[in-house]
Amino acid sequence: MADVAPAAVAAPAGRGIGRSLLLTLPVALWALLMFSRALGVPGVAVKVAALLTLAFLVTLFFLMVRTRQTNRWRRLFFATLGFLFPIGFVWELIALRGSMSIPMEKMIAGDTPFCFMVIPMILLPAALTRTVIFPGAILPTASNPHSIAVMIGLWMAATLVLGKGWCAYGCFFGGIEEGIAAMPRKARIRKIDGRWRLVPWAVLAAIVLLSLATLAPTYCEWLCPFKTITEYAEVRSIETAIQAGIFLSLFLGLVIVLPWLTKKRTQCAFFCPFGAFQSLFNKIHIFDIRIRRDQCKDCVSCQNSCPTMALNKQSVAEGKTLINCMHCGACVDICHKDAAVWHIKGTPVGAAPERARLLHLYAAWGFATMFGGSIIAGTLTKMLGFLG
Amino acid sequence: MTRLKSVLGYTAAALTVAATMLTPFLLMNFFTRGVAATGLRIHPVYTGGDVVREIARAGYRVRVHRAVYPATPLQRIEPFVQLDWTPAAALPAQVSEEVDLDGDGRADLRARFSVPRDPNAELRVDVEPLGPRVKPLRGVGKESFHALIVRVGEAVVVRVPLGTGAR
Repeated sequence: MADVAPAAVAAPAGRGIGRSLLLTLPVALWALLMFSRALGVPGVAVKVAALLTLAFLVTLFFLMVRTRQTNRWRRLFFATLGFLFPIGFVWELIALRGSMSIPMEKMIAGDTPFCFMVIPMILLPAALTRTVIFPGAILPTASNPHSIAVMIGLWMAATLVLGKGWCAYGCFFGGIEEGIAAMPRKARIRKIDGRWRLVPWAVLAAIVLLSLATLAPTYCEWLCPFKTITEYAEVRSIETAIQAGIFLSLFLGLVIVLPWLTKKRTQCAFFCPFGAFQSLFNKIHIFDIRIRRDQCKDCVSCQNSCPTMALNKQSVAEGKTLINCMHCGACVDICHKDAAVWHIKGTPVGAAPERARLLHLYAAWGFATMFGGSIIAGTLTKMLGFLG
Repeated sequence: MTRLKSVLGYTAAALTVAATMLTPFLLMNFFTRGVAATGLRIHPVYTGGDVVREIARAGYRVRVHRAVYPATPLQRIEPFVQLDWTPAAALPAQVSEEVDLDGDGRADLRARFSVPRDPNAELRVDVEPLGPRVKPLRGVGKESFHALIVRVGEAVVVRVPLGTGAR
């Protein structure tokens, strides 16, 4: 990757307040609809949390519309989601069972909440054995509302709406890295070999085959960095102690230290098998980002700004992003020649990029409000309730 | 052709926005029901498999599950059979009883364990084989999925590794 400082963020002409408000209105109504149930629930904490979340999400969308910038406001939402999710999740675990570790009896009872990261691993075993290799419940139960059918249903809907955009608008794990990567002013490590972006595909292939061979969710058992901040198998043997050590090392390395040093989402870009799996759906997703070759000055700002290294010299020359583009909009925001543009497949490139951006945002922000918004509001409710 | 592709592109984009609006009310439910309708079940390593027979005791019963065998050479479990003593509240303080796994009239194992009143207390089980069907257990808690004793809901669950004469 070229070691060139990113150009100053372009400041496109802002939209008028009235027009921005009008364009924000559908999202405001949608958010009101999504939080209407919480607003009707008795208790001050839940109402205040819902109102704060609603205001936060609608304001961010308004700012996206007004400034015509996507990534800086999306990133604020996403980092908030990333930092609040583990708080709310661990809070719930402690309240339910007094610990972050999941004991064997809870696994046998099917009380493990299903995580979307497991999806690539369960597909082949499910097709061949008609069983799911995860200690959860197929349908929601009182002790496990995050059942396999519900979470896969949610993932299918998210994939239809967002495609790989899940990694920029839905994945709370990615939000943590996004927040860490945003903290330092400059990257300490700027030269990263592009071949690292092949690693998630290798990890994906390995875990899919190993899960099939062992009929166990290999990634969850051995490699998931986010076990550190969610839940993990009770440490009762040397093997489980080694697993816990791997989780912690990967979390510290890929989610804390490397994002800080590189200002990239290193776990997402260089490790996450679910991200690689989700990239496959970029092929069928209707929105993408293109580079207008007639406008591009090959300044490589877009390549440097991309948090997952989804652009390289060759892809820019071809006028498109790589398959792992998550539609965060960083490259579009930073391009001072308006060469990087939002695009709807089938339409001429650069014909109406702002229209494409807005349509993409209505879909993505609608999902973010529903999914991420409920996580943010849920955690805020717990925190406000705790504060009294 | 270009115009047609544009129209199709914008139509698909509008449908994507519509899909978002339908997600919480229709789409998610539709997909969830679709997944549930596939008839998928949780792998028996976790559930213990189907219950094949029940043995009635005084005030409680012993459920015998179908034996679980590794389905692939790399699956890291030994073959086991799960037994549930339920309800745990009706069990005596000390359980020591013979269990006939296949209903042939001959006991296959003797299981011994204490049932503390504290539901969070750790359990330990001894299993003495009375034939070639099972392997012995000595003071086993919950070290592995194929040899354990735990409370699960209203039951005390014991998993006993199978011996060479099990099949």
